[in-house]
Amino acid sequence: MDMKRDYYEDVELFSSPVVVFWFIVLIGSLYLFPMFVDNYYVYVANYIAINIIVAAGLNLLVGFTGQISLGHAGFFAIGAYGTVILMIKAGFPFLLALPCAALVAAGFGFLLGLPALRLEGPYLAIATLGFGLTITQIIGRVELFGGRDGLHAPDLTIGPWVLDTDKEFYFLVITLTIFLLLFMRNLIKTRVGRAFIAIRDADIAAETMGVNIVFYKTLAFAISAFYAGIAGGMYAFVLKFIEPEIFTLLMSILFLAMVVVGGLGSMLGSVAGAVLLCWLDLKLRNILDIPYLGEWLKDLSENWFSITGVSNIQYIVFGSIMIAIMLFEPLGLYGIWIRMKKYWRTWPF
Amino acid sequence: MIDFIQMIVSGVATGSTYALMGLAMVIIYKTSEVPNFAQGEMALITSYFAMMLLTTMNISVYLAFFISFAFAAILGAFLEFVILRRAKEPNVLGMIVITIGIEMVLLGFVSWKFGAEEKTMPFPIGPYDGFIVGGIYISKLDVLTLISALFFMIVLYLFFKFSKLGLAMKATQQNSVAAQIVGIKTNRIMMMTWGISSLVGATAGLLISPTVMQPFMMWDPMLKGFAAAVMGGMTSLPGAVIAAYMLGIIENLFGGYISIEFKTVVAFAIIVLVLCVKPSGLFARHYVKKV
Amino acid sequence: MKKRLMFVLFVSLTFLLSFTPGLFAEEGVTDTEIHIGSYGPQTGPAAAWGAVPRGTSGYFKWINDNGGIHGRKLVYHMFDDGYNPAKTKAGVKELQEGTGIFAWAGGVGTSPGLAIKGYLAKKNVPWVGPATGSREFVNPPQKNLFAVYPLYEGEAKVLVNYAIETMGKKRVAIAYLNDGYGKNGLRGALTSLKSHGMESVAQVPFEAKDSDLKPHIMKLRQAKPDMVLLWITPGQAAKVVGISKAMKFDTQFMSVSTCSDFIFMNAITKGAWEGVITGTFGEVPDSKLPLMAKYKKEIFDKYAAKEERWGIFYYAGILFVEPMIEGLKAAGRDLTREKFITAMENIKGFKGVGPEVNFTPYKKGDIYSRQGTSQTFLVQCLKNGKSKRLTGLIDTK
Repeated sequence: MDMKRDYYEDVELFSSPVVVFWFIVLIGSLYLFPMFVDNYYVYVANYIAINIIVAAGLNLLVGFTGQISLGHAGFFAIGAYGTVILMIKAGFPFLLALPCAALVAAGFGFLLGLPALRLEGPYLAIATLGFGLTITQIIGRVELFGGRDGLHAPDLTIGPWVLDTDKEFYFLVITLTIFLLLFMRNLIKTRVGRAFIAIRDADIAAETMGVNIVFYKTLAFAISAFYAGIAGGMYAFVLKFIEPEIFTLLMSILFLAMVVVGGLGSMLGSVAGAVLLCWLDLKLRNILDIPYLGEWLKDLSENWFSITGVSNIQYIVFGSIMIAIMLFEPLGLYGIWIRMKKYWRTWPF
Repeated sequence: MIDFIQMIVSGVATGSTYALMGLAMVIIYKTSEVPNFAQGEMALITSYFAMMLLTTMNISVYLAFFISFAFAAILGAFLEFVILRRAKEPNVLGMIVITIGIEMVLLGFVSWKFGAEEKTMPFPIGPYDGFIVGGIYISKLDVLTLISALFFMIVLYLFFKFSKLGLAMKATQQNSVAAQIVGIKTNRIMMMTWGISSLVGATAGLLISPTVMQPFMMWDPMLKGFAAAVMGGMTSLPGAVIAAYMLGIIENLFGGYISIEFKTVVAFAIIVLVLCVKPSGLFARHYVKKV
Repeated sequence: MKKRLMFVLFVSLTFLLSFTPGLFAEEGVTDTEIHIGSYGPQTGPAAAWGAVPRGTSGYFKWINDNGGIHGRKLVYHMFDDGYNPAKTKAGVKELQEGTGIFAWAGGVGTSPGLAIKGYLAKKNVPWVGPATGSREFVNPPQKNLFAVYPLYEGEAKVLVNYAIETMGKKRVAIAYLNDGYGKNGLRGALTSLKSHGMESVAQVPFEAKDSDLKPHIMKLRQAKPDMVLLWITPGQAAKVVGISKAMKFDTQFMSVSTCSDFIFMNAITKGAWEGVITGTFGEVPDSKLPLMAKYKKEIFDKYAAKEERWGIFYYAGILFVEPMIEGLKAAGRDLTREKFITAMENIKGFKGVGPEVNFTPYKKGDIYSRQGTSQTFLVQCLKNGKSKRLTGLIDTK
């Protein structure tokens, strides 16, 4: 919303020293965070950070390139399985297995990008949805991948360190997350990023301008899948156990919801969307413990609904929040943030 | 040979359910260009409503079904009026997320009220009533589903082609501003579309319910119905129905002769192949984007 | 700066305070309370299993109202994980590290359980009766984990043995759910067939999501079996049996203990379940055993919500944790985890509503040191969901 006077203002990473300062403060506090909280919150932070990576990658595809994917749980699964298999069967170290698995995911992303060249809207939605469902079916079929019995993740070692607590793992996850987010932010500001945006806004116009649609569309799928793959690889070590049924359609839907609720085409939005939805997903089960409201809900259930199904209120709340955000602010959380900023900038006028 | 025919018959039976769901999705997509992910749950809540009427109020099945259909239509119209119409500057993705939100809310309500345990709905035609013709088993409930699917297809086709309201719906889809200028109340049209669609979808739900009901029963039919609708071109009613029967039959034959494990996903593989050849589905005119 | 200092002080104080009871007793045990945790899906596709932790809850309330255990009340923390392992792990960590849990009871599902198995083992927190019959929980055995659920593998073996030896069946087909649950059953059935020098005539995998089951039934019918073993979800089993009967595909159906709730199965199949033979967890819902009647009257009628059903899932919630109560009682007033584990290891020939429970001191490689039950018996469904006991207790080892 600020006026840009120079091309370099558009491509620079930080717009002013103040932003750099706050960025450093943020990074610093992220690294210090585990010292002040319970181990449980570190686990939650790991879980959320992983989802942020997926959301950022999916946002590149959905928000910046204008495609749809309802199959990201598939790439997530490929990353998770790839990493674990490469470590167990091929003896790769973690830091090598993770990018390799993510590259495999990227390869599949490229393949899925090919039909996407001709498809859009609901057609693309159903094709990607089918991909997500099929991939878990295939993984479950192959005995090398542990079939439906699943796989246990091996111990995680990086050089001399063994990362077996959540806190130790946190430093790895947060470092990767920050790195990947910065990379993504840079990417969007480059020629490649502008090509993606041009495809989103008008693909035919972009093509006449000389943007190679085939290359950039498949590239967007591949990068997006790469991010999901990296996240999946780490997810395997958060759970320490993976099986095909974990990577459901619901997971893909949740990923998409994070991006849309956060705000399409905004990095900050993806982060906010992932944080909000993950947090709700984990925390809403405690809704009945809220004083007064919980009592009232229990009362309501006994009289009108059933007390055995009372936990399903979390679905209702979750769905309502999604609806409310989209109704009142189509730009999602990012839109709300922009409005707040605007309001305070000119306050009290 | 008997096995082969039996598989075809089973495929047609399954396809009928997909067809009803597909029809319901096409109707909404035709007018508002929203792939409605809440379609399955709209049918689900209607089915549970019917079951509640039948088990607690002791009324006749016909009356209960009549009330349920009315409920379905009102529910659809209500959702459009209260939620979808309120969306500001909607984009397709935003609409998809809204319908997913609706889906979660409805699913939550059903599971909250009725619990997760399997139930069945009392219905004059039992789920396992049927007759055997030359060694081939035909279930009466499947016949009823088939008849309903064809009935709705023909009625809706005629409705969109010839009736004033149907034409108005078409006009709304093609150019809503122009439609408003010629005096069509597009808002009201949208509401009716949602009502009709909800009713068609609910038929599928009600015909599944006599066998086994549980809160997740509509997921599979909804996805397959959506898949069929996409394959048929998303805007063509007969297209959706034909694609639904193709999917049902292919699934059954594939399960029977090739691999039962991949039966659930073969539909999606076929769709990707079909879409690679015909990106707008089998029965829709190819849509050429204007610059 | 001052504020930060205050904050640090406050945090360290709370930490200290929260550790103080630890100086006197074990984590999760106070003078008047024992904290027990559990989880189970109350939402999502597996929510029918949610009755298990609710049954446990009723049982613990009953224990508390009858004086508790050595003057301590059981405080039961149960949460909903929606059958999502990530959520299970989050919830377990939250309770274990926040509230402090002495031991875990029950806990539904194979993959949620496997996600937390290592975590609880590392902390050496006792865990009794995970509600899953998968072999992975006891193979290899783990010091802190006591399994009560009969192994699916053994149950399948007993069923197939019975079909071949007693009923003289020759052609056995197996319908199994394509996950840990079904695969375990399949493995057991194949072992039994192999020991009789036979092979299955068909193995048909089902997906939990499958709602159109006719292709599966066709596959089964083509093989012309005289016995079909159904290792699938109760809803699917109901459909398979119902449609098969309608198709005049007459064969002997046998099924897993999760489908042994005959009254329920009979209701949802509209009577087609008659004649099906299943294994059992322990007793059947309408059992005449005095203890069962007592539980129904004193636990179910008193504490269960009005929508609850006295089905197998509900009383399985009791069955899985009975040995735990036995162990807690035997461990005495001076309760520690070490003592509790020793007390559990000394359980011999304990009989509640389930099969007999035996544990032995921890031995590497001996799965029956931690797999407490190895007995089942077979029942057959009669008209109107009544049941007929076919066999005495059979060892599944």
